[in-house]
Amino acid sequence: MVRLITHNLLACHVRGCTTNNFPLAFKDVEIQLREAEFNQDFLRGFLPKLEWRALVDTAKSLNDQSLPDTPPAPEQMDTEFLKALHHVLLEIHVEEGAMVCANCGHVYPISNGIPNMLLQEHEL
Amino acid sequence: MGRKYLIYYAIAHAEFRFPELQSISELFGFQVSLPDSEEDRDPTRPFMIVELDEDRHARLLAQRCILVKAIYELLGEGVTYEQLHASTKSNKSIWDKYQQNSFRFEVTAVNHTIPSERKVKIMEDFEYMEFQGPITLADASVVLTYFEEYPIKHTLRKRTEGDGDFDRAFFGRLIEEGACRSLKHKFDVKQRVYYGNTTMDAEISLLMANQALAAPGKLIYDPYCGTGSMLFTSAFFGAMVFGSDIDGRQMRGKNLNPPGIFQSADQYGVLNRILDCCTFDITRNPFRTGGILDAIVSDPPYGVRAGAKRLGRAKERPVPRAPLETYENTTSYVRKPYELGDLTADLVLLARYLLRPGGRLVWFLPTASEEYQDVDIPVCEGMELVANSEQNFGKWGRRLITMRKSTNCPEYPPPSFDPAYRMAELGDQATAPSGHRGFREKYFAGFKKIGDSSN
Repeated sequence: MVRLITHNLLACHVRGCTTNNFPLAFKDVEIQLREAEFNQDFLRGFLPKLEWRALVDTAKSLNDQSLPDTPPAPEQMDTEFLKALHHVLLEIHVEEGAMVCANCGHVYPISNGIPNMLLQEHEL
Repeated sequence: MGRKYLIYYAIAHAEFRFPELQSISELFGFQVSLPDSEEDRDPTRPFMIVELDEDRHARLLAQRCILVKAIYELLGEGVTYEQLHASTKSNKSIWDKYQQNSFRFEVTAVNHTIPSERKVKIMEDFEYMEFQGPITLADASVVLTYFEEYPIKHTLRKRTEGDGDFDRAFFGRLIEEGACRSLKHKFDVKQRVYYGNTTMDAEISLLMANQALAAPGKLIYDPYCGTGSMLFTSAFFGAMVFGSDIDGRQMRGKNLNPPGIFQSADQYGVLNRILDCCTFDITRNPFRTGGILDAIVSDPPYGVRAGAKRLGRAKERPVPRAPLETYENTTSYVRKPYELGDLTADLVLLARYLLRPGGRLVWFLPTASEEYQDVDIPVCEGMELVANSEQNFGKWGRRLITMRKSTNCPEYPPPSFDPAYRMAELGDQATAPSGHRGFREKYFAGFKKIGDSSN
């Protein structure tokens, strides 16, 4: 777990950390690839909510180059594109490692696929 | 004009019956017409006749409604035996197309046992239907069922006493047996590989998934997911689910790898539909944006078995500017109690932010029965109440609340989880006394009125 779709929704939320707090950078990751059910409606419905640049860059940081730098227009999304998007969003699982904020440096550790997004008292 | 169908209901959760029927018909986009008279709609009785457009809709209801035992095409009804047969004869055009099919006949009663001699006689009395197909017990293509409904007698008696003295009788062709039995068994908590002391029972968590309109292509979130019971049933119905909890230990279990919540998901074959589970406090959440969810389904902690907590220090004191050395690699985070009245108000405001327009919030509100009033339900601009069903435990009860985010509303900002914001959005409701504010204290005081010193 920690799929890239989740990663694309999470920003650093330390008090006062409001700029350059997204996306979080993966660090020391251990990755597993696991097949997921392909559902076009889910992907199309979610696409407008994605931060595309962050998704592409993050995928590249995990050695996946399959996504184009700009998303195609909705009527030009072919199956090939949707399959690639499906794979990046749902089939790459970061099991161990951490997510680090580029702005404040807060480290959100990931263990057994569950990220710890809690904050310490001085960060509230 | 619709066709008449007989729904045979489980006698449980009467108040949940109509909301569920409504939700499932909305989910699949068809109409259910309820009977006109109040008496025929009585949700404490086992039978209800509805009108549907086609058999397929009846099948969908049977497959999804947790409270439905079976659905039949209505062939006859009556308050007397003669009336039932007259009604059946007049409906010949509905059943004469099955005269050559293989068939099976069932005779049964609710709150009663029909003696076997009379059972045989009842079957013979339907001779006028002239069914000529082979009688097969195992895989008949048509199953005809005759029901008698008796009043509940709260006395010890023989099951056959008062035979024939029924309230109503029904005769129908089986469309589909309800999936409820097998689903309740499938999600039985006792059979689950990993669960905790606040895990929701199977039937209710299935009902909640139905209220949330769980289906493939949707994203559903539980902000107090604990051991994950809400996630599994929604995922089973095809939705992608996401969970978070302030206490990661609930999700992980002690020394379990993979974490317990993933082990249970795997048991139900839905591991791939668990989008992710994260440890965070919902009042200090990391969501980058709102408007992303199709539903939020949750049983928030109400302080009896699990105390509601949020990050922060209960008593004011100078905040250390940097973490203490010992904080490194530990899991000690300061927490303070989270009052249920505040929690519920925040939940509704959070849902308004995170849901897509038209998305649903389904949650349990525990209340002291005597103090509850309908105005207790927090409502704000942009969120409307869909259903409110009580499960009564005597002095207290819990209400399954279903709300919907309005379809044409602006985007709302993330809530700030503080008293000023609640006050601004909910007005007096944010602080007014209610059947759930201070629930923990009321519970442990045995729901005695303030100043009541008896016992």
